[in-house]
This record gives sequence, structure tokens and C-alpha cells, in this order.
Amino acid sequence: MAAAPILEIKALGKRFPARSGREPPPWIIQDMTFSVGEGELLTIVGPSGAGKSTLLNIIAQIEVASAGEIAFGDERFASSEQKSLQPGLNRRIGYVTQDDNLLPWRTTIENVLFPHEVQGTLDDKARTQANELISAVGLSGFENYYPHELSGGMRKRAALIRTLVYDPPIILMDEPFAAVDAQTRTQLQEDLLRLWSLKRKTILFVTHDITEAIALGDRALVLSRRPSRVAAEHPIPIPRPRNVKDIFTMPGFAAIYEHIRADVQ
Amino acid sequence: MNWRGWFDRLVVLLILLALWQAGSMALGTYWLSGPWLTVSRFFASLWDGELIFHASYTIQEATVGCVIGGVPAVLLPFALRKHPVVVAILDPFMVGGYGAPKLAFAPLFILWFGIGIESKIALVAAVVFFIVYFSTLAGIRALDTRLVQMAQMVGANERQVGRYIVFPGAVPSIFAGFRIAVPYAIGAAVIAELISSNRGLGYLVQTGAMNFDTTQVFVAILAATLIVHGFIAIVDIGERFLLRWRPRGAALVVDQGL
Repeated sequence: MAAAPILEIKALGKRFPARSGREPPPWIIQDMTFSVGEGELLTIVGPSGAGKSTLLNIIAQIEVASAGEIAFGDERFASSEQKSLQPGLNRRIGYVTQDDNLLPWRTTIENVLFPHEVQGTLDDKARTQANELISAVGLSGFENYYPHELSGGMRKRAALIRTLVYDPPIILMDEPFAAVDAQTRTQLQEDLLRLWSLKRKTILFVTHDITEAIALGDRALVLSRRPSRVAAEHPIPIPRPRNVKDIFTMPGFAAIYEHIRADVQ
Repeated sequence: MNWRGWFDRLVVLLILLALWQAGSMALGTYWLSGPWLTVSRFFASLWDGELIFHASYTIQEATVGCVIGGVPAVLLPFALRKHPVVVAILDPFMVGGYGAPKLAFAPLFILWFGIGIESKIALVAAVVFFIVYFSTLAGIRALDTRLVQMAQMVGANERQVGRYIVFPGAVPSIFAGFRIAVPYAIGAAVIAELISSNRGLGYLVQTGAMNFDTTQVFVAILAATLIVHGFIAIVDIGERFLLRWRPRGAALVVDQGL
């Protein structure tokens, strides 16, 4: 990892508040430390219940940490000093959640332009760029459809480009393609890699699918069971551009897959 | 509804009319007016303007009352969205206001606001307010917090969250509230007129009954029913325009949620 870290997680811990009359709640995340380089696509694999979504929520500042510190560039957010949350850290962190969270009363184009609308940056340039992204992911012709009129894969694409459109330096993705069928998922993964190769954003991509973690990532982190910490770290030396469909035929794939699977316990 | 459905509906209507006619013939129009008499008097009274004179008064009371009661009922839950403690403090009083038989307040409103149009408007507003308040509150509470988080992530401030997320999300519940409130609004206007007035459909009912003119009573009831249909049609048009983003058939689901 040559680039300087843009995001550092230091000794992060999370437990939910105790309820009266019960034992103190267990740690969900404990002593988790890792860093992410600028322009890196880091995949995070872990068993379900390993606190993957909680980790992203803390980085996105939707949830508070119980211990540790997050450094974003020169800014430090220590859990002990944090008084109030700033979701999205002033639009520098984008978040593609498991659910698409499209606004049902807005059409595709209105959903994609929503970030610009609330930020007061809606101009011709933003519209042109939104239209480019819409055609880049194959949503042309569906600009004026409401979310309930789109397929699951189309809604995922719309949610993805809604985050890309305002260009946050860091993008968090929480199993964004988990709920679609295998063929659509491959297509979405290829869309993501193509868009990423154009802009080289820093991406944290959480998944429970080892193949997906290898196909997309520069590096894969493996999380342990609860309390979750980084169990292992695997660089993925498969050259880009990668063919997602045939990723398992690439030299080196089988060895990395075996290593990660052994670590995911 | 298919052709068969409409046919069955027509059969039910004819049976009801036949029963009514039979009852009227058995008892005499002195006790129970018949459908034919009612409909012919309805149109006669529509042509000579008398019905319009009275119905317009009732419509005016109901419309102004719906606005005076409905607008604060929509705005208050939004204003209190960030103050759940205030909502909780107000709750027993709101439930009390919702549960109290407001028609029983009609004599009091007449005492306070006089026998003119003001007392009728006040009664309608009191009835509409509580129904719309609770349905709006339910709509705001059912809000998907994930949508709010998404909006905050992309940079929306508190005011924008209210405008772009909370309000559109609550619109179906607001409409559901008005749809329930409209028949009560017309009913409240008519009852208030019944007690004391010299104009309106309630006045027609009152004088009709006093003069043993049951036909006039039925004409007034028929007119009030048609007005309710008209009001609901207006609510439907507004709803269809504002909720064109919703999948067809979803309206039933939301209305049952109340």
C-alpha cells in the first residue's frame, strides 16, 4: 500500500448501552485497527453478526463508538470526546447501504440529483454529469420512473450513482449487491469496477461473499467473530482490469480464496 | 369493478328503494316519505334555488371549518417533531379531545360564538382537528429513519429533512385523515344547524320535522350525503395528484394503518 492513509481506525470498540438490571453488554467490536490508503478499494469480509454494518455506521458517523479513535486525514475523532455526530462528515463520506433507500416519491433522476439539490449545487454541470452516470450504468430511458417501477438491480444502480454524483472522497458500501440475483450482481460489480477505474475513489466495501471480496479489492480484511477485530489481511495481486465473471480462473485466485476461507471462522 | 359487480350493486340499490317505497306506502308519507317523492322534491327544490341556498351555507361552514381545524392539525405534529416530550405531555389531552363527544359541545359553541355561522365553523373545526392531528402524527412516526440518515449523509440540514423526507412521507396519512374527517365535518355542520339556525341543511331537517314534512327531511339528508361524496372526490383528486409516485393499490394498505 503505497499511498498515504486517508482513513485510520485505531483501537475502535463498540458496545451498546447497558439496560438496567442486566449484565454489561458484550463488545461487538473490540480493539479494531486498520488503515485505508487514498484511492484504495478495500474489501472487508466477515461472518454475519461480526459488526460489519456497525463498523461502517461508526465511520459514517451515524453511530457513536464506545472506544478508540478514527482519523480522517488530519482530523481526529476520539470516541471519548465526541459530543455530537455529523453524519457523512460534511459530505466527505458517501454511504451505499444494504437497502437502496431511494425516496419513493422521487423519480430516478430526481433521486440521483437529490444530493446536489440539498447542497445547493444543482446546475447544468451537475445535470450533465448525472446523465452521464445514468447512461454509464444502463439506466437511460428510466430517468422519469419511480423506484417502485424499477427492478432491484436498477434501484441498486440508482443508489450507487446517487452517491457517486456528489463525489465524496470516501465511499462506504455495505453489501450493496447482496439482495440481487447472481447475474445482476456480476453486472453490478463490473459497473462498480468500471466507475472506480475512472475516478479512483477510496472505497470500503463490506461483503460476506469471499469471491466478491477478491474480485473487487486491492486488499481484503477478514474480521473475526464477535467481539470483532481484524483477524487477517490479504493483498490481492490479481492485475486490473479484472474480468469479474471469470475471476476464479485467474492465477492466484484459488490460493487467496483458501486463505481467506480459513480465516473466516 | 367489472360489469357483473356493477349489476349486483344496482340490484341492491333497487331492493333498498323498493323496501323504502313499501314502507312509505304501508305507513303513509306522514311518517315516512318515499324515494320517488324525495327525488322529485330534491330536483324541484334544486331548480327553484332553495336547496342551493341552504346547501351552500352548509358547504361554506364545512369548508372553512376543515381549513381552520385541518391546517393546524397538519402543522402542529411537524412543529413538534423534534420535541417528543411535548408530544407525550400533550398526548392525554389530545386523546381526550379526540374521544370527547364533540357534538355535545354544539350548544356551548352556540353560547360562545352566537347563532351565526361562527359557532358551526367552530364545531366543524374541533371535529376535524383531532382526526387529522392523530393521522398526521401517525404518518410522522411511521417515518423510515434510514431515509433521514441517507439525507443527512448527503448533506441535508434539519429544515431540508423536514421538507424533502418527513413531509412527503406523511402525505398519505394526512390524506387518509381528511378522508375520514370529511363525513364528520358535514355531519357536525348539519347538527349545529339543527340546534339553532335559520339557514342550512340542518335547518331544513329541523323545519321539515317540525312541519311533519318527512320528504323535506330526506331531501336534506340526500343533499348532505351528496356533498360528502363531492368532498371525498376532491380529496381523491388531490391525493391522486400528490401521490402519483405510489404503486397502484397501496392506498388501501395505508388507510387501514390508522
